[in-house]
Amino acid sequence: MRRFAVVCKTELQLFTRDFFSFFFALVFPVGMLLLFGSIYGNVPLYEGAEVTMMDLSVPAYFVMVTGVTGLMSLPLTVAGYKEKKIYKRFDATPAGKMTVMLAQVFVCFIMTILGILLLLAAGMLLYQVRIRGSFLSVSVSLLFSIGGMFSMGFLFTAVGRDLKSTSLLCYLFYFMMLFLSGATLPKMLFPDSVKKISALLPMTYAVDLMQGVCAGDSLSLHGKELLILGALTVICTAAGALLYRKKDWT
Amino acid sequence: MSQAIVEVEGLNLSYKKVHAVQDVSFSVTPGEILAVIGPNGSGKTSVVECIEGLRKPDSGQILVSGKNPWLHRREVYQEMGVQLQEAEYPLRIRVEELCRLFAGFYERPADWKLLLTQLGLAEKRRRPVQKLSGGERQRLSILLALMGRPKLLILDELTTGLDPEVRQNMWSSIENIRKGGVAVILVSHYLDEVEALADDILFLEHGKQMFFGAKQDFRDYVKSRVPAEKWEENATLERLYLMIAPKTAGLTMEGIL
Repeated sequence: MRRFAVVCKTELQLFTRDFFSFFFALVFPVGMLLLFGSIYGNVPLYEGAEVTMMDLSVPAYFVMVTGVTGLMSLPLTVAGYKEKKIYKRFDATPAGKMTVMLAQVFVCFIMTILGILLLLAAGMLLYQVRIRGSFLSVSVSLLFSIGGMFSMGFLFTAVGRDLKSTSLLCYLFYFMMLFLSGATLPKMLFPDSVKKISALLPMTYAVDLMQGVCAGDSLSLHGKELLILGALTVICTAAGALLYRKKDWT
Repeated sequence: MSQAIVEVEGLNLSYKKVHAVQDVSFSVTPGEILAVIGPNGSGKTSVVECIEGLRKPDSGQILVSGKNPWLHRREVYQEMGVQLQEAEYPLRIRVEELCRLFAGFYERPADWKLLLTQLGLAEKRRRPVQKLSGGERQRLSILLALMGRPKLLILDELTTGLDPEVRQNMWSSIENIRKGGVAVILVSHYLDEVEALADDILFLEHGKQMFFGAKQDFRDYVKSRVPAEKWEENATLERLYLMIAPKTAGLTMEGIL
């Protein structure tokens, strides 16, 4: 546990020095909030509705943060360590690569939570955003969303031969999902053809889940989303672990 | 004779169809320096990586302080320090941060601030590791290998790329470490280094153990392998090695001019 804490501290320091991760996890989502907030304002979703446009947008941005950390920061860090054989150096210490990898997952998790809290604070302060769901259902939904995104990122690091190919996978899936899942642009604006593509993307289900639960839905109304994200987490983690087992790390 | 800290018996390792290491056996006792020598691709790094628990042997037994390094890596590394042939560190990490991180891995970490001073790196402690020169990085890698106050130190190509003065300093550092009772396994292409430091030699060729024994006995081994007319009585270790090393064709000017 002591070794894990020491690695977490260092990895946290390194995360804050990585402009890309820091900016896109903490600054960019708040920037999006301000941009779309200035466009939509704090208007009700439809006439007489209690829920506002920003009430719906903020949970979608939560998923955007999980996408940044899970599909970009984490896999690109892991792929970099793999390519440069940094894990091998840690394997030649009492800590071992698993401690380092788990610390990287933990740090990305912490930064995700921090990014989400920042967004929430900005949303509440500037647009009177309200989370109507219970703390428990929002937390569970968030964990499923994080699990889905992080495990996908993990699988990318196992599939990618090197940093370049892993980056390609990450950029491709991240940006495709960012714009087509409803995480940035509201899904209601999509034409039917785009909605069909959107239905194929895992992030879409995270967005639907977060938006629904934050609007006050109970978890039981989102069994499909929970099932898809849960299955995604199990399948991607298992497939990634299997691939790592087959590959020569050293 | 003190008990061996490293015991290797019948070590075999293959990469797919290539037999990288074949039936290698040797031991190292505390306070002893074993040099592992041989041409490129002879299996030197593979052998030490098995001892380091980084590779799982196909067969054979390896014990470091009586423990299998593959199965008990965490315990073994409390007593073993390693300098890898190629080592990279996390991007943007500073020297002192890396030292503090490694110190956190060990039960009884060394005084790394003192080691930084002794290795001439004290002024570089705030510098990002990636901005260090080759010699500074090499010294840092030695420091990290010493962080756990090891009883066994494995140095893979310790002085490759270092200038002569730094090399000499490294040699005296290793000699001092040995005097403290630490066993050292030194993988090296520099025979002058082996001549200056080693007690025993393990000579590998195509993954096979051609010689293991005292440095003085290596001379007799070479004499037994070379024709009488090629034998040089007062040959240095490097000359001895060249007498038996596989010959490779040198570059000719044909095809260039």
